[in-house]
Amino acid sequence: MEPSQTQTSLLAHPLAIPIAIVIAGAIIGGALLIALRQPGSSAAVAAQQPQGAQQPSGDLEAMSPITEGDHIRGDPNAPVKIVEYSDTECPFCKTFHATLQKVTQEYGDDVAWVYRHLPLDQLHSKARKEAVALECAADQGGPSSPLGTSNDAFWKYADRWFELTPSNDKTDIETTLPQIAKEIGLDGSAFATCLKSGKFDAHIEDNVQNAQATGGNGTPWSIIVAPNGKKYPLSGAQPYEAVKQLIELALQEK
Amino acid sequence: MSTIARALLVVFQKPAYILVAVLVAAITFAMAVWMPNLGLVAQVIADPSATFAQKISLPIALLSSISTNFSALSALYTVLIPILFGVNGAMMIYYLKRRIKAAKGNMMAAGFAGMASGIFGIGCAACGSFLLTSILSSFGAAGAIFLLPLRGGEFGIFGVLLLGLSTFLVAKQIQNPAVCSS
Repeated sequence: MEPSQTQTSLLAHPLAIPIAIVIAGAIIGGALLIALRQPGSSAAVAAQQPQGAQQPSGDLEAMSPITEGDHIRGDPNAPVKIVEYSDTECPFCKTFHATLQKVTQEYGDDVAWVYRHLPLDQLHSKARKEAVALECAADQGGPSSPLGTSNDAFWKYADRWFELTPSNDKTDIETTLPQIAKEIGLDGSAFATCLKSGKFDAHIEDNVQNAQATGGNGTPWSIIVAPNGKKYPLSGAQPYEAVKQLIELALQEK
Repeated sequence: MSTIARALLVVFQKPAYILVAVLVAAITFAMAVWMPNLGLVAQVIADPSATFAQKISLPIALLSSISTNFSALSALYTVLIPILFGVNGAMMIYYLKRRIKAAKGNMMAAGFAGMASGIFGIGCAACGSFLLTSILSSFGAAGAIFLLPLRGGEFGIFGVLLLGLSTFLVAKQIQNPAVCSS
């Protein structure tokens, strides 16, 4: 028995598949060629993946210890700590910021939220400067400051930033960074001086390196630390219910 | 009625094929959504201190990340690809069972290329392709993804198109009666 004419002619159609695959290969190859020619397209750059890009492959135990130098929302001695590595231009970080605000409200003294920087430079060119702005806000806080502690100033700035800005480098940072500083009561000229000073560059880079060492290739990247030190990796802007499940699990680990 | 609609009716009259399609689609969707957190899911499932309910509820809760951890475009193709994957798989099985002798090289290639491209294209929110990114990362060139206008979302769209094409081709084959040429 022979296939019908229609069927025979159809056997030619699957040529579309190999052609399509060749086109896909050409796109990948072309992109590769361009990327490999660009300065900075090294493995270090490759590690700066957007959220959820890869399975974490680092060591969670490489996470830098939580210290007084960290920005902590909630009780620093809370049994469960969520260490978040975040990018101010990542839309998923914006979503997750709201999720963690809800977590700290719901869990009170049981959960502390630690904010660290992971600006994805290749994806969000403005994020590193914004990370500096957050540190500059913290820099103006202190025992005698009307803003409250350094920590208070940091979180006021961070909350307003994520509330106000649309992510994906769509913010005019030349106007918005000082605008938020003014709104929350920072000294505008000291803030501007700080932004240009470079005094927090090394600190931010330390955060980035630490995130990558723990397996953070994209943002938001979080590590949930149980009372007994057990760590759970959480990649991406996971829903409140998933974070809640992990907190409950961590609270059992005493 | 279009060729695809007629073929779908023929195949999915039998509940077993609906079951195959739903199972394949559900598993593919779950794997795609869990992909960034497979390590966590494995850790919790293997955790002796976690209750059975916790081992079940965490993976289920993570499925909701389709609404929090995906852009509109990536959520769209992360849903579409598993559906097409399931439908394509069930139709392929139906076709192969009926006409195994007619399933020549090109026919098989069409289906499997469609499925392979689906796997290739499916994945994470922002970069568009988990598998592709991993492959590129292995030789330090994942940055290439960021040069594409949709940050790799192109491969998700490509996967949908290829699976759609594959489904169309299988549907046409199913609709072709086994006619002897004169």
